Amino acid sequence: MSRIGESATRALSRNETKNISTMTILDAIPSSILMIDRDLRVISANRHFLESAKRTRNNTVGCDLGKVFPPVIVKNMAFESRIQSVFKENRVTRGERMVYRAPGIPLRIYYYRIIPFAQGRQVESVMLFLEDVTEQVRLSEEVRRVERHLASVVESASDIVLSMDVSGRIFTWNRAAEKISGYTSEEVRGRFFSEFCADEHGCEVVRALSGSRSGKKALMNEWDLVTTEGVSIPVSWVCSPMYDDFAQTVGIVAVGRNLAERRKLEMQLLQSQKLAALGVMAGGIAHEIRTPLAVCSSAAQFLMEDGLSPDFQKDCAEKIHVGIKRASVIIEDLLKFARPSKKSHMQQMNIVSTIDEALELVTHQARIQQIEIVKSAGEDSLIISGISGLIQQVFMNLFMNAINAMPDGGTLAVSLERVKNEILVYIADTGQGIAKENLDKIFDPFYTTSPVGKGTGLGLSVCYSIVKQHFGSIEVDSQIGEGTTLCVRLPLLF
Amino acid sequence: MTRARSKVLIIDDEEDMCWALENIMKRQGVSSRSVVCGQDALELVRKFSFGLIYLDVKLPDIEGIELAQQIRGIDRKVPIVLVSGFFYHDDVPVQTALQDKLISCFISKPFQHNEIVGSLKFARRRLN
Repeated sequence: MSRIGESATRALSRNETKNISTMTILDAIPSSILMIDRDLRVISANRHFLESAKRTRNNTVGCDLGKVFPPVIVKNMAFESRIQSVFKENRVTRGERMVYRAPGIPLRIYYYRIIPFAQGRQVESVMLFLEDVTEQVRLSEEVRRVERHLASVVESASDIVLSMDVSGRIFTWNRAAEKISGYTSEEVRGRFFSEFCADEHGCEVVRALSGSRSGKKALMNEWDLVTTEGVSIPVSWVCSPMYDDFAQTVGIVAVGRNLAERRKLEMQLLQSQKLAALGVMAGGIAHEIRTPLAVCSSAAQFLMEDGLSPDFQKDCAEKIHVGIKRASVIIEDLLKFARPSKKSHMQQMNIVSTIDEALELVTHQARIQQIEIVKSAGEDSLIISGISGLIQQVFMNLFMNAINAMPDGGTLAVSLERVKNEILVYIADTGQGIAKENLDKIFDPFYTTSPVGKGTGLGLSVCYSIVKQHFGSIEVDSQIGEGTTLCVRLPLLF
Repeated sequence: MTRARSKVLIIDDEEDMCWALENIMKRQGVSSRSVVCGQDALELVRKFSFGLIYLDVKLPDIEGIELAQQIRGIDRKVPIVLVSGFFYHDDVPVQTALQDKLISCFISKPFQHNEIVGSLKFARRRLN
């Protein structure tokens, strides 16, 4: 072959190689690509297009665009005018969506763009680029559906569900939160959650949030939410940390349950419990009153007789006087206890005198059962913040439990200890004790070892609830056959 | 056992109750002794023979009815009168004690003096 022939052949084969490469690349791309000339005729079509449209090169290349796509599509998508404006303006179009239906082919959704190919300033041809986005669209719709459902779950919950960032600023605030607090989610977004909680519970909130932040297990806490009208609503909260894919804490979720209803129920329970306790104590108290009455009666009967020395007469009169006073005190204590608790706000109260009063009430029952009450002398004034009626009932309940554990007599020892800024009240009995496996059940509502008709099992769970309300706790230690010791902790004011 | 002059034993933890019963006895010309707990009562019953015992039901160290049984163990025949501010006449423990002849009679507090005086008829010996 001549030298020119050789170089021409080389050039030709280089060109062919180039052309083959380009076509190979186009055929490898998993999107449809058509090249179109100024007369809107198809110059080339890649394999993906041909396969998707179930066409061949022969019936596509060189054909009118209008013949390659169904006319409906060409008209609706305004292909022709779009392509022509690209030829004129030499600018890539914005991405558009197209829905392609063809007989025998399931519905497909395409995303397409028209790209100009210019040589110098003249646009020689355009590329019609089609991306099949059917799957993506389906998936994103699926995702949207799931998101809507999840959002609906949160919005439908009757409990408060809210989320905040790690610094405590509110992200989301569900419908229940709006309803209970009166604040809309627009009003609260970005503000600190603690702004909507009662001031006096500030420490609790801080503690719960920092606990969640440091990844501590979700704990239950109670603090009040303050509504737009300034009303405090008691809520029981559980705060949990939110993690990202790298196990970093990115936020906090707080779920809150409105306690107002439960508190009302508890109040009613307390009152019926009181009356039940009164029923139990009635026997003991009646006995206590009958004794001074008997003394008064005898003294009066003596006074009605003749031949009494003046000293003896005086004795009789005194005994009547003392006897009546005694009976009055017993009745007074009883009535005070039986009345429903009027005070409903936390106030400063002396827990020592409250415990003494509770002890006074159960003394009668203790005496009947040959139980010795030992109270260790301590400070006679320790002030806490609380509702004295409720605290008195708690201790009365705990004392009665101890007494009931000693049907054959024993000792009830009560002692108070001040430790840092808490007061610890120990209540120890020498009764039958509690089995280890039951120790953590005793505060469950309706758990009782009393025979049917004697105890409802509500006492300890209500006590626990009241003590929690006062930011304290109850601990129990027991040995079968030896006795039980309860420790009630309450924060001191001073 | 010392056969001392028959007396009445009063067992009640309430001192004023003992005062009342002692004075009723005095006005009847009957001598009496009072104790305030079961332990002391048993000691005396072991030492002396009493004509009648007035027994309260709720004592600090023992239940009245159980004390009555223990007294029976020491002195099988001494009449016991239960005087109580806790039970009533138709309460089961009282009825049982009466039926078992553990006690001779039951008097509830407050009482009429003539009830107490009337119970002296159960005394086993002439009391002075």
